[in-house]
Amino acid sequence: MKALDLIVSPSPHIHSGAKMTGISYHILIALLPAVIVGISTYGLDALRVICSSIACAMVFEALIQKLFKKPITISDGSAAVTGLILALILPASVPFYIVAVANFAGIVIGKQCFGGLGANPLNPALVGWAVIRITKAWAGYLDFDLALVNYDTGFLMQYPLAVLKAQGASALSHFDMIDLFLGKQTGGIGAAAIVWILIGGLYLVVRGVIRWEIPLFFLLGTAALSGIFWLTDQAAYAGPMFHILTGNVMIGAFFLSTDSGSSPVNRWGLVVYGLGCGAMTIFLRAWSDYSDGVVFACLLMNLFVPLMDKIKDKQKVPEVRSLG
Amino acid sequence: MGLMREFTKGLWKDLAPFRVVLGLCPILAVTKEAETGLGMGIGVIFVLTCSNVIISSIRNIIPRQVRIAGFIVIIASFVTMVELFSQAYFYPIYQKLGIFIPLIVVNCIILGRAEAFASRNGVIASALDGLGIGLGYTMSLVLLGSIREILGAGTIFGVDMMWASFRPFTFMAEAPGAFVSLGLLLGIMNAVSRKS
Repeated sequence: MKALDLIVSPSPHIHSGAKMTGISYHILIALLPAVIVGISTYGLDALRVICSSIACAMVFEALIQKLFKKPITISDGSAAVTGLILALILPASVPFYIVAVANFAGIVIGKQCFGGLGANPLNPALVGWAVIRITKAWAGYLDFDLALVNYDTGFLMQYPLAVLKAQGASALSHFDMIDLFLGKQTGGIGAAAIVWILIGGLYLVVRGVIRWEIPLFFLLGTAALSGIFWLTDQAAYAGPMFHILTGNVMIGAFFLSTDSGSSPVNRWGLVVYGLGCGAMTIFLRAWSDYSDGVVFACLLMNLFVPLMDKIKDKQKVPEVRSLG
Repeated sequence: MGLMREFTKGLWKDLAPFRVVLGLCPILAVTKEAETGLGMGIGVIFVLTCSNVIISSIRNIIPRQVRIAGFIVIIASFVTMVELFSQAYFYPIYQKLGIFIPLIVVNCIILGRAEAFASRNGVIASALDGLGIGLGYTMSLVLLGSIREILGAGTIFGVDMMWASFRPFTFMAEAPGAFVSLGLLLGIMNAVSRKS
């Protein structure tokens, strides 16, 4: 590495020596348990969605970089990560063309049109998901209860958040918190495997790939606001544990909101960002038409990241250090 | 020769929504279908040509200080004619376009051409300028409307285009689809014109 070259870039200037490839492979490794659980639950369909999503993401990235006459960087794994994360929040039965459109929207419009890796204001996987989710004609393919009706998984096949939205918190008594935690619930291919997502996320925190502030304050924000709702009306609103253990909250806290290009830099920015994502999730779950609000909450907070980057740490001025 | 150029510049060099990025409000709002885009475009051609001719012919009479107000009165008269005419003879399209017909009054293209061209040039040149810009604007509206209608509903001018099992990508018919497709078209136009 040419350590002594001067690089003009926005802060932070201290470089740990980590490469994009290494970061991507850590994320892929961290998602592996959830992928395995997803494939063992939904069989070859889950494998098909995951493989096609990763392939689409990488093909679109290579094509658009060729079109823009940029160096082709699919080997750094960032496109594969986008494709995999996108696949993990989709139901296993989703048709190929929807996966392709989502990856096109995410990679081409959400990422490369804004300047590629690191320049994207929004997490590309979330852009892709949002585009196919707000397409009304495809809602049936993305509604977990409708899409997964033909699968026999051995556990209760009801999407918990849809039950909450339709019937209120009093209808949730047959959801066992332990089962939810162990991933025995309807949901995205990998997003439903709560405990495995949690393990993968903790691995990333330990390896220093993601900052611990985002997941911690994401979960805190979710718990705090859902707790307030729950205390005001226990018949209408579900408790904090239920909200944390269902839908995309766990994968959102560790994987969706922590995309390094679209999350803040400084510590207080991270805290505000995490709390905002968590709180917004609960607002959207309580008041929006969508049963789960994690993705839209993360997208909304992504847009506020430039503001949060203005919250500077007081104690130190960024300095340029030799890499040693 | 010079007059011909006044006409053709609206078709590519000063192509209204894509090259000079004016008139974006209607192009986002009425291009859900190709048909409404075409209706809007014809209305704009009429208003633009007529107002250019009138403004050009009385350009030496209007006092400079109140010229904008004068232009608006002239434009608004023609827009009212378009509105009443379409209400009488093309009621379905009138209903689909709704508020966007009266809003032609504040379309930046029309006021922009009045201020930048018609108030400084002769009547024939102004008429050709209005026709050219309006025609370019209509083509752009129909192009964007066709793209959004084919992907968003599987039809074009109401005629089925796609195979039977096609599930429309209704994202394109919504507001975000308008922004995304307009942005992509702008990017493509810029890339093409940079090359040539």
